[in-house]
Amino acid sequence: MSFKLLPLSLIQSLNPKKLPKNLRIIPWLDVWALLAWGTLFLKYVVTGQIKLLIHPNYIGLVLATSIVFLLLAALRGLYMIRTNLNQDNRSEHITLFSPHFSSSVLLIIAILGLLIPPSVLSSQAALQRGVTDTLPLTRFQPQSFRTSTKPEDRSLFDWVRTLNAYPEPDAYTGQKANVKGFIIHLPELPDNYILLARFVVTCCAVDAYPVGIPVQLEDSRVNYPQDQWLIVQGTMKTETLPVLSHNSESGKEERQLVLVAKSIEEIPTPSDPYDY
Amino acid sequence: MVQIHNAFTLFLSLLVEAMPFLLIGVLLSSSLLFFMDEGLLITKLPKNPFLGSVVGSCIGFLFPVCECGNVPVARRLLLKGVSPSIAISFLLAAPTINPVVIWSTWIAFGEQPSIVWLRVLFSLIIAIFIGFVFSQQKDPQPLLQPTLVKRVTRWQSNYNLNLVDSKQKKEEISPLLQSGTFLLNQGQILSMDTSLAEAKPDYLPLQSKLSKFYRFSDNVVQELRELGGMLILGSAIAAIIQVFVPREFVISLGQDAITSILAMMLLSAIVSICSTVDSFFVLSFAATFTSSSLLAFLIFGPMIDIKGIGLMLTVFKPRIIIYIFALAAQLAFILTFTYGYLF
Repeated sequence: MSFKLLPLSLIQSLNPKKLPKNLRIIPWLDVWALLAWGTLFLKYVVTGQIKLLIHPNYIGLVLATSIVFLLLAALRGLYMIRTNLNQDNRSEHITLFSPHFSSSVLLIIAILGLLIPPSVLSSQAALQRGVTDTLPLTRFQPQSFRTSTKPEDRSLFDWVRTLNAYPEPDAYTGQKANVKGFIIHLPELPDNYILLARFVVTCCAVDAYPVGIPVQLEDSRVNYPQDQWLIVQGTMKTETLPVLSHNSESGKEERQLVLVAKSIEEIPTPSDPYDY
Repeated sequence: MVQIHNAFTLFLSLLVEAMPFLLIGVLLSSSLLFFMDEGLLITKLPKNPFLGSVVGSCIGFLFPVCECGNVPVARRLLLKGVSPSIAISFLLAAPTINPVVIWSTWIAFGEQPSIVWLRVLFSLIIAIFIGFVFSQQKDPQPLLQPTLVKRVTRWQSNYNLNLVDSKQKKEEISPLLQSGTFLLNQGQILSMDTSLAEAKPDYLPLQSKLSKFYRFSDNVVQELRELGGMLILGSAIAAIIQVFVPREFVISLGQDAITSILAMMLLSAIVSICSTVDSFFVLSFAATFTSSSLLAFLIFGPMIDIKGIGLMLTVFKPRIIIYIFALAAQLAFILTFTYGYLF
């Protein structure tokens, strides 16, 4: 009984003379919006900017979406050219927005997305979200704890994960470390400390949460501006420092694992700044 | 400026995340609407109010879209003669009780399966309960938006009532239709007025597989446009809140067992994020909020949110929406609080 489901727009469109000319714009706006969104998603996947927005698990899904959008745009475009139909959907829809408005917004946002590249989350965002050296409950994955990993091969996230699995800092004292991350100046930490941090993404940039470990410097941290990416090599040591958590009461101190920096190398922001 | 750029990035991130799910939902609902005869569905629905609510809650499995897509469907069901209890249960449950949402919740909270199951269970309980409450109101007219009635009468003057063929009249005898001729007309005519309205075969252009496919794509584009606009609005608000309202502020709203649930319910209503992706959104709060408050977000959010109110106002009178919201809020609070208290 598919004929039952024919949109009213098609019935109206059989009488094109009744419709003002400018209504032609709406279906074309749709075509351009679909095209723009398809292109935007394709651009993110091709340029790798997608890694700044979403967990790599979803890249396939985004690519498929982009292809469907582009196909739909092509189909609608062809349809418009071939049939030369005017379709007015205004009268039949009950929405907060008019179709003009919705299509224009969709198109404008996609164009903005094409023009403005996504930013890398900064130390400011990290401070706002609250840096911790503990993992939230849902991301705590004890099964990924691998004792076989050599300490100097562990990434920053591996270190935080390892610490979560076995939190006694003394167990790691003296181990070598070679980690990559960006600088956060935590107000709680003494002047010769920076926090070397990375964002960890579970699904998309919205849920990215920062993890980090304190790094002991030889001199003041003023020489190391926030958000600069570093590769730090050194050895682990236990120190008593203020607690690394925004949620807990200030002034509380705890024994913590810190990295005593031996060599610090400044690096440009990597293309995949987030860990997963 | 950096803040705005960050907000824009988060906004895009939300959209990149949500668009594929939105597209899946739209494609599925468009194809279902083409391959399923709604009239058949309606005649098979149970007349018992409680069973009706139960079945209504589960229709969501056939319409796997988020709340924005469910409102037009619920409206069409209601005006086709489905009893209000079924339509309301459907409206409340369908955003959660559908395969896409359960799947995405599973992806987000796979390590805490209890959240997934309790989300489904509690949503079902609330939807069935509220549907049952409204089933006590036999005459649906006071529930419905008066402007709908105006639209009917205007439509009536323009089109001949004979369009409704007598066979259909016999088929669709239901509580709604028994109330009188006017309601019969309302049912028939309003269904013609919906986005996927019925049409007489005489009006049809040449029937071919190709034209069918074009109409399918027409519906897909239409829904994408509507829901995409909503998604953009919701994502923009969510991104702005994320960047400009410090986490501490939200956290400070909900410090103990009770206020954390209330804070998350408030957040879910403000953020208006689609149910297909809200579990990913709420993951970002998993570190700072109790699981009962996350559950409150996941249950309450799909039922009631800012963009949902706008859509629901096109169906129900404001007073009825307030009743539904008050009931849903209280039930969601009681259920999640009990869960938090016991476990």
